[in-house]
Amino acid sequence: MRKIFGVLVTGVFVFIAGQDPSKAQSSGNASEPQFKVLSPWAEADPIPPRGISPRLNTLAGRKIGLFANFKRASRPILASVEKRLKAMYPDCETSLFDSRGANVVESESANRERFIAWAKGVDAVILAVGD
Amino acid sequence: MLLANKGFVTDARSAASSRGMPGIRVLGTSIPCETNEKSEIDAGVAAAMENIVAALTKPLTVGEKSPKQQLEPLPRIAFTGSYEAVNRFFYSKGWTDGLPISPPTEKAVAEMMTGTDLRAEHVVAKVIPRLGKATVEKIAINAVMAGALPTHMPVLITAVQALMDQRSRFDTFGVSTGSWAPFFVINGPIRNDIHINCSSGALSPGDMANAAIGRAVSLIAKNIGGARKGIEDMGVLGNPGKYSLVLGEYEEESPWEPLQVERGFKKEDSTLTLFLPNTYIQTIPRDTNAKGYVETYASLNPGSMSCLLVVPSHAKVLSSEGWTKKKIKEFILENSASPFPAVQGGQGTPLPPTKPSVDDLMIVVAGGPGAWIGLLRSAGGWENSFVTKKIDLPRNWDKLVAKYKNVVPTYTAY
Repeated sequence: MRKIFGVLVTGVFVFIAGQDPSKAQSSGNASEPQFKVLSPWAEADPIPPRGISPRLNTLAGRKIGLFANFKRASRPILASVEKRLKAMYPDCETSLFDSRGANVVESESANRERFIAWAKGVDAVILAVGD
Repeated sequence: MLLANKGFVTDARSAASSRGMPGIRVLGTSIPCETNEKSEIDAGVAAAMENIVAALTKPLTVGEKSPKQQLEPLPRIAFTGSYEAVNRFFYSKGWTDGLPISPPTEKAVAEMMTGTDLRAEHVVAKVIPRLGKATVEKIAINAVMAGALPTHMPVLITAVQALMDQRSRFDTFGVSTGSWAPFFVINGPIRNDIHINCSSGALSPGDMANAAIGRAVSLIAKNIGGARKGIEDMGVLGNPGKYSLVLGEYEEESPWEPLQVERGFKKEDSTLTLFLPNTYIQTIPRDTNAKGYVETYASLNPGSMSCLLVVPSHAKVLSSEGWTKKKIKEFILENSASPFPAVQGGQGTPLPPTKPSVDDLMIVVAGGPGAWIGLLRSAGGWENSFVTKKIDLPRNWDKLVAKYKNVVPTYTAY
């Protein structure tokens, strides 16, 4: 009985290992041809992660940057956000940055100087993608 | 903080993380994608407003303040197992296109790399969005998986260079909602050397070079570039062309100068020309003469980057009546409406309508006997252009071609 139980346990273990090859890193019937295969996933230069900017205590009296992606929904979304922000914080200011290109990294674009000046001039940024 | 439709939250987080800002606060909304319906926008913003304020005011967590570098282990050997187990493992890792792959063993990859003189560790390009290093070895691994031959390596290396040429705007189109697919036209002697089909069913399955080169590019975009479906590649409907869109120009049957000569290369140069369409249309001409052909071409409304596929029989009729590629392009542009006349690209910030130029249209002679017309069109025209690159061949090219020359299907009559 103990022996039968042991066989069952081994069988269950082998079954589980076969179901999750990512954990096993090696699998399959040893009687079949075995393939030692190279990873297709590429290395990328590690980018040291940066923390995000400290949050504001309140939005009252602050200048909030509104960054619009080029997609058509982004500006009306930000207009709606702006309307509500000003209703909640009447002395809150806003400043729009309108990105005209598709998926442009503005800090690396021809608009770099204008973008950096805009970012430095606001206390926080809300970005609407439009998707 | 970033506002996106809830379906784009994972994409936004991946984009932020790949730029070294994993902590950026992303808020998913119920606002429909790309809408300009004010009531839907207002409702979505109203529902999100409390969380928007919180995202700007709630103190940072330790992880947001000082995120830790998460270096993923990158073992060179990914797995050992049977053919079936290898395939299950690769599929479970998200490394395939859903079809079985050929196991990239050391031996198979070494053989694949005989197709280039470049060293295994040579970085051909860094591929977006992850900026993964497309070393010769990684290209070869994905090429083996796709079922390519070593003679396809020069094309694949050139394809990676072309994709990462900023003019192609693969950075946008490769992962965009519009499901653009890389389309490659191969010209010059290499076309025959490696049996790129340019005749009957050139865009259909069945030819190893046409199929495997496109498939390998798709795997490279996924495994080197890190563009995974629904995570970074946000194509809404998808595109079967992402499996493969490769054909040759049927230069021998064309009355006109071949594409690579048009684009500044020599006739004896082997070249690859790339652009990213997301539509493929086929139709028959209105009439069986040159006028019928060109009027039909114009009715298809090319523009915003298109490639017209002209079958050899039509090309000969057109040429005999004095139509050159340039004259056909001018007629098309003069007589067709831009498919997106009011808003550039159909979704972006409204801009003055731009009339496509002859530089936005490419004509390629391809196809077998028959009378059809093909058009590959890109619904978008954001500072992108066709990219043509010369394909550099290894020193042992002739020997390599001889070795694989007979790898062709031989069909049994029935």
